[in-house]
Amino acid sequence: MRGYPHTRENHYRHDFEEADQQIVPTLTKLRTLTSDSALQQRNLDIIRPLTIQRFEIFRKAVATAQAGQWDEARKLLIETSAEDVMGQIRDVAGAMRAEEDRLFRLRRQAADDSQSLSAIVTIAGSALIVVLAGFSIFLVRQSSRARNDAEQKLRDANLDLEAAVDERTADLREANQEIQRFAYIVSHDLRSPLVNIMGFTSELEELRDDIFGRIARYSRAAAALPEPLPDSDGNQESGLTEEDKQLSEDFTEALGFIKSSIGKMDRLIGAILNLTREGRREFDPVQIETRALIEEIVGTVAHQASEANAQIRVEPLPDIVSDRLSLEQIFSNLIENALKYLRPGVPGDIAIKGRNKLGFVIFDITDNGRGIDPKDHQRIFELFRRAGVQDKPGQGIGLAHVRALVRRMGGTITVSSEPGKGSTFTITLPARWTMSRQGKSYG
Amino acid sequence: MGNPVKIIMVEDDEGHARLIERNIRRSGVNNDIMPFTNGTEALNFLLGADGTGAAHKDQALLILLDLNLPDMTGIDILKQVKENSYLKYAPVVVLTTTDDAEEIKRCYALGCNVYITKPVNYENFANAIRQLGLFFSVIQVPQAKA
Repeated sequence: MRGYPHTRENHYRHDFEEADQQIVPTLTKLRTLTSDSALQQRNLDIIRPLTIQRFEIFRKAVATAQAGQWDEARKLLIETSAEDVMGQIRDVAGAMRAEEDRLFRLRRQAADDSQSLSAIVTIAGSALIVVLAGFSIFLVRQSSRARNDAEQKLRDANLDLEAAVDERTADLREANQEIQRFAYIVSHDLRSPLVNIMGFTSELEELRDDIFGRIARYSRAAAALPEPLPDSDGNQESGLTEEDKQLSEDFTEALGFIKSSIGKMDRLIGAILNLTREGRREFDPVQIETRALIEEIVGTVAHQASEANAQIRVEPLPDIVSDRLSLEQIFSNLIENALKYLRPGVPGDIAIKGRNKLGFVIFDITDNGRGIDPKDHQRIFELFRRAGVQDKPGQGIGLAHVRALVRRMGGTITVSSEPGKGSTFTITLPARWTMSRQGKSYG
Repeated sequence: MGNPVKIIMVEDDEGHARLIERNIRRSGVNNDIMPFTNGTEALNFLLGADGTGAAHKDQALLILLDLNLPDMTGIDILKQVKENSYLKYAPVVVLTTTDDAEEIKRCYALGCNVYITKPVNYENFANAIRQLGLFFSVIQVPQAKA
């Protein structure tokens, strides 16, 4: 700029004008850029008025020069070119530059620091991840080991449990056999004295005849009656007095009660014997054509059925693997019961149905007989218990026996019935029964 | 019948023994009846002092045997009798309360001649014994030889 008044070349003036236009935005920009440093702002505060003042002088000089007063302009520039302003500007700018350099170094340092910090953080983080991964692997291993241990323990416990169950089952089986042996021996040994009781009661009966025959003879002799001719029925007591007749009848009545009780007791003992015999029988599961088996049973009761005016309908039945004899006993008991307890005067209708369901075969034996009171539905399956009007012979054994058999073959039996309408006995048996599934037997 | 038949009755229940004896007598059989109440005594008598049974070489015996004895089962006696060369011809009548089919079969397999269950029904029992008595009176009981 200072060259312009001297050389009067316009490019100096253009340079200045250009610089003059840019100085304020530049200074403003500089202020913005250094806004983070109070020191630089202070420096700017110093440098800005100085610079603006300097430009003012230049602008004046240019204006003077353009007015043609070249010497004036030169003088003005020289006067004001006292080194202090420019030097001040230079010093401050130098200080600013130095400050910026310092700041730059500082920031670079900080950047370096933060970079290495981030590197450290990254490394530390990675290390942490590795450690955590290791730890989690350890944890997973530990937990899987714990799980394995637990599974092993569970297996052991299961084995123990099975062993315990086997043991208990064996105990129960033994106890059951013990009960059966007991029942067998007791019922057997009870029979022995019963033979004596019955035998000597019959002997007493004969004695009674002798005694009262003799009394009659003496009575007749005392009354001087003629000896009667022995009549066809061998009655020797025709001469008895009223009192003696009463005695004779009491005697007969007492003996009659004794004998009928003995008979009843013998039947009960016989029933227990039969049950224990059944309980001890070995089962033999075989393939059975159920329908043929039941047709056979129906054939054996055909006479009873025609007497009772009853028809027995056997529907197609699923075959089964089971014990033949037990199955025969179950069905013949139920069919005989159905025939036995029909309603008098009502034609009997007995139906046997069957179906397969989930590995089991379900049989229904339905009748239109007298039915069973709901309160007796459980009771009828108990030994020596009967239900309803006791007008038919029986010991209350059949259904107990049937239930015991069904249970031994791993099945169940239920009854649904309405008095006066009829009954349905439902038997559920395993379709393919094996001995291992043998349920509990009598006990 | 050269020698009268001797009836050996092995029965631990005295009541049963009495009833059996009475009914045998009622049927008109008057042969000697030797009662034994346990198996050991009966075997001792049957096998004799030397245990061979030779003591009954020339005797005609008929054995009535109960199976439930206090010291052994009648089946043991039956076996020994039928295995003994002097005794095996003696008819054995098994009399017991058991009507177990297996036991009956077993007795016949061992050589028992008649098996009678003692029914509580006295008429049946008495009849069976009386018929047995008639049977005694008609059968020819062979004498032990050899």
